[in-house]
Amino acid sequence: MNPHLPHATHIAVRDGHILGVGTVDDIDGWQNAWGPLELNADFADKTLLPGFIEGHSHMMEGMFWDYHYVGYYDREGPDGTVWPGLKSIDEVVAKLKEIQAARKDIDTPLIAWGFDPIYFTDRRMNAADLDSVATDCSVIVLHASLHILNANNFVMEAADVKGADNSEFIRRDESGQATGEFLGQLGYYMAMRTTGINLLAIASSPETLVNFANVARQTGVTTATDLVNPMPAGSEQAMREAVDADDFPMRLVVAFQGNSMEPAEGVARMQELQTSNSDKLRFSLVKMVADGSIQGFSARLKWPHYYNGAPNGLWYIEPERLGDYLKAFTEAGIQVHVHTNGDECTEVALDKIEEALRAHPWPDHRHTLQHCQMATRSDFKRMKSLGVGVNLFSNHLYYWGDAHINITMGPERAARLDDAGGALAEGVPLAIHSDAPVTALAPLFTAWCAVNRLSSGGVTLGNGTQNISVEEALYAITMGAAYSLKMENEIGSLEAGKRADIAILADDPIDVGAEGLKDISVIGTMVGGHVHLNQGRAR
Amino acid sequence: MNRLPQIPLTIISGFLGSGKTSLLNHLLTQSGLENAPSEKSGRRITAMVNDFGALNIDAELIAAKHGNQIALANGCVCCSIGDDLMRSFMDVMQQSPLPDHIVIEASGVAEPRRIAGFASVDPQLRLDGIVTLVDASAHNVHSKDPYLADNYAKQIEAAHLLLISKPDLADTATLENLESELAAQKPDVPMAHVTHGVLPIDLVLGLNGDHKIPQPQEIIEHGFVQWAGHLTDIPRAALIAKLENLRPHVLRAKGVLRDAEGAYVLHLAGGLITTAPYAGKASGHFVIIGQPQMPDAAALEKIFRQNEAA
Repeated sequence: MNPHLPHATHIAVRDGHILGVGTVDDIDGWQNAWGPLELNADFADKTLLPGFIEGHSHMMEGMFWDYHYVGYYDREGPDGTVWPGLKSIDEVVAKLKEIQAARKDIDTPLIAWGFDPIYFTDRRMNAADLDSVATDCSVIVLHASLHILNANNFVMEAADVKGADNSEFIRRDESGQATGEFLGQLGYYMAMRTTGINLLAIASSPETLVNFANVARQTGVTTATDLVNPMPAGSEQAMREAVDADDFPMRLVVAFQGNSMEPAEGVARMQELQTSNSDKLRFSLVKMVADGSIQGFSARLKWPHYYNGAPNGLWYIEPERLGDYLKAFTEAGIQVHVHTNGDECTEVALDKIEEALRAHPWPDHRHTLQHCQMATRSDFKRMKSLGVGVNLFSNHLYYWGDAHINITMGPERAARLDDAGGALAEGVPLAIHSDAPVTALAPLFTAWCAVNRLSSGGVTLGNGTQNISVEEALYAITMGAAYSLKMENEIGSLEAGKRADIAILADDPIDVGAEGLKDISVIGTMVGGHVHLNQGRAR
Repeated sequence: MNRLPQIPLTIISGFLGSGKTSLLNHLLTQSGLENAPSEKSGRRITAMVNDFGALNIDAELIAAKHGNQIALANGCVCCSIGDDLMRSFMDVMQQSPLPDHIVIEASGVAEPRRIAGFASVDPQLRLDGIVTLVDASAHNVHSKDPYLADNYAKQIEAAHLLLISKPDLADTATLENLESELAAQKPDVPMAHVTHGVLPIDLVLGLNGDHKIPQPQEIIEHGFVQWAGHLTDIPRAALIAKLENLRPHVLRAKGVLRDAEGAYVLHLAGGLITTAPYAGKASGHFVIIGQPQMPDAAALEKIFRQNEAA
């Protein structure tokens, strides 16, 4: 990602930083000043890239490893155990039976996660499937989307779904029988109240952090974000201890939840948090959430609104209040990332950013729109004028592309969903993201999505102008994300003086090309000079 | 499953600046005062708010403040930070002891029906009512806001009680227009004026929002009584006379009725009784809201049925 030296054979590392990059001869001269350098040929046949940067993820990803993984793809747990991908509903059920048989506290709820029905088109999982695992305790399977969960009859009876007739949160078959699927926020709430398990307890324990870092590390990530955290008073100390430990395999950028207090208090809290910044832990930005999600019909869309006629979505904050926060943080010189999904919300966010900048001019604010999935070319032009960056939710193309074409946006607008090509063409600084745990955290997969724009149903979104090249995608998951975090002078490329953060890959993505990008094996990472190898084979 | 006692849930909805926080301050203060006039004083309220910023709770009521919770002598206030209501509900429903009443101060852009959904899935919760505040001085702006007009309409649509705030800041014509607009949109929903959030707390916390059609008589407590019935043909002059006789104890009334001249709509609002021809089919629905001095249900039944055409 260094234009002066896009390819090299050797890299030298000292004191957590890159001493030099180039040929062995280029590096050789550094020994005069720095003493002998030891040649490590372990990765001589591998490809080294700048460590990947996940610019929009959530620490909550780390919580799920307390539960049991039942996803479609092989996944390595934070402890190095490889959880094999399960290729049918029967395989998922068999795995759950095996887990239940091995459990000691068989009366406690059995919770699994990562189930992705996209891959099982013949039928849906139902309560009977999970009854075959256990009938005398709760069995809950969380879908990868986190918008649906499956439960057994034990949960359905406790939740008293028979009495409820609200089809918004209980899926029913043709005969009106509840199938065991709980839908949306209220479905989750119902299942959580029934089992007494709070799946959403604020994820901030050191164990969660370590799990999160290990999950990210396995995909080549060397810096990840926890993109919204209310940071209760004093919580930074424990976080600092965990992240600063030498064996903690990642840098972490935490976005403070802007609306968790009044604007002036928020500014003061951010300034306080920034005194806890370290080499590996940064409190550098504020996150504001302005609307909901497109697939949940809670994003704010401009006329003609949703393709299926659903009523327009929800504001998560009053536009006027969003403006108050943006003004306060802009005045204090604190960067803000605004979650906008629908195009109406994007317009309002840009209006409010413009107002804030008129009140408090700031040439390099780098406020960024996160998701920003429905942005048009006009929106990108305006972002360019205002100096606003974008971090697009490219994984959506794969996971919800079909739904956007058929249900939420319709084919015309879905063609420009997460238009990375448009952003670059208009000159808007671009990053792309997973929003983990909403979708799988794996920057090479995210890059693959932005390059190929292929839905899980096999449809290509757009006419090609929205696609970006492999090189552009690799830039987006390294320098692009670094720029969005104002860390481009430290990380994102391999060049002298920068931090020694490296992703070690089995193959060169340029050679592999667009199609195989997501399947490249990650061997490990280096973070600040410390090598972390994958035990098994991560996806 | 054992049925546990249900906790009533009241949602205070309304736009930014409509007076939600003033109302909540008043509810918390009044319910906390030992010698409060309300016979239900002392109930433990858990309030969920978006931010503590504008809350102005009597210092004597605050027992402790830590993190996103303020413990009160008679309950607590927790900050539900933005959109994360699910987490807040999980926390509140694990409180011990559980509160007597939960009040949510919704954000200015919240859809109160969605919040009410929690009560529909949690067997330990019962939706007591959605109270929507309408800012009389800003109604014309809010109802035409290019980004928020749909939200505004939804908040009014969801209301079980409409409170018109800042009536003193609107001129009479504006206020009357607003009242008739709201009455047309929500004919079954009681309406009252509120200034600085001050009103009998039982009017808010005792409101029963479970029903979809008003009960024959519903005592809303402390100053408000509602009676509703279906009247068949009734001459408008006779009906007006009956309502005049009930003054001053009847505060408002509305009916979509018919007589020999055809279908008509009757309003009693702002002290004026008006009738107007009604284009649609008369439903026969008639509802009045008044003070406790108003005759009881049986008496009202008798009064209003007397002149009905057989």
